[in-house]
Amino acid sequence: MRRISFDEYQLVIKITREEDIVLARQMVKNLASEAGFSLVDVTKIATVVSELSRNIFRYAGSGLILARLRDEGEKILEIVAYDEGPGIGNLSAVLRGGYSTTPRSFGLGLSGVKKLMDDFEIESEKGKGTIVRVEKRQRRF
Amino acid sequence: MPVHVELDDASIEALQQQLLEEIATQKVRALLLDLSLIEVIDSYTSYIIHETAQMARLLVCKVVLVGIRPAVALTLAQMGIRFEHVLTALDLEHALEILASGGTPSDEKDLL
Repeated sequence: MRRISFDEYQLVIKITREEDIVLARQMVKNLASEAGFSLVDVTKIATVVSELSRNIFRYAGSGLILARLRDEGEKILEIVAYDEGPGIGNLSAVLRGGYSTTPRSFGLGLSGVKKLMDDFEIESEKGKGTIVRVEKRQRRF
Repeated sequence: MPVHVELDDASIEALQQQLLEEIATQKVRALLLDLSLIEVIDSYTSYIIHETAQMARLLVCKVVLVGIRPAVALTLAQMGIRFEHVLTALDLEHALEILASGGTPSDEKDLL
């Protein structure tokens, strides 16, 4: 799997306890807010971080949420969810939505993330881990 | 009942247990969940709300979600998350009006 250069990210949050889900969500939400993203976008971003960090905690036990702001004419918030967990078996089913290996779940988390963000990339290898990379661009209007 | 701003998983599950016990023992007919302070509802929280509503329905208790924030509603809709067996209201007054006029969740109308 691709290697992540952790130094390039402004926020690096370890997800090891359930409480870290809320923590990661708050921190990235603040970053987005301060950068001037709209309320709707901040809500989407916070929801995405919640989904990704929950997946890390639930399936891998531990991992990282990384975030950084890039300026390429427009501001871009990039979020990476990294874990060295079991990997996702049925990736296409997971991304389609409505599929979950956990009871008490809609199975709409990861497919939801894909719908909320402007860019979505995922790399997952059974037994190795999962990397999800998403981007949200700040609208000019 | 108002729900706090930042709810972690353990709190949500404890809340669900508590609510269901009270509904059963006090024979509660309607549960109003005030979500106006909630800034983020993810798919897990949505699932728990949905599950709670299902359980409450079996205990003959209507569930009303009150004051979901527009940004949250938009996010959930875009994710494709829908709530079944729940009523929704804009505020507490609206919720009481709905209940007084015998409100039924739209997905249940055919069952009556």
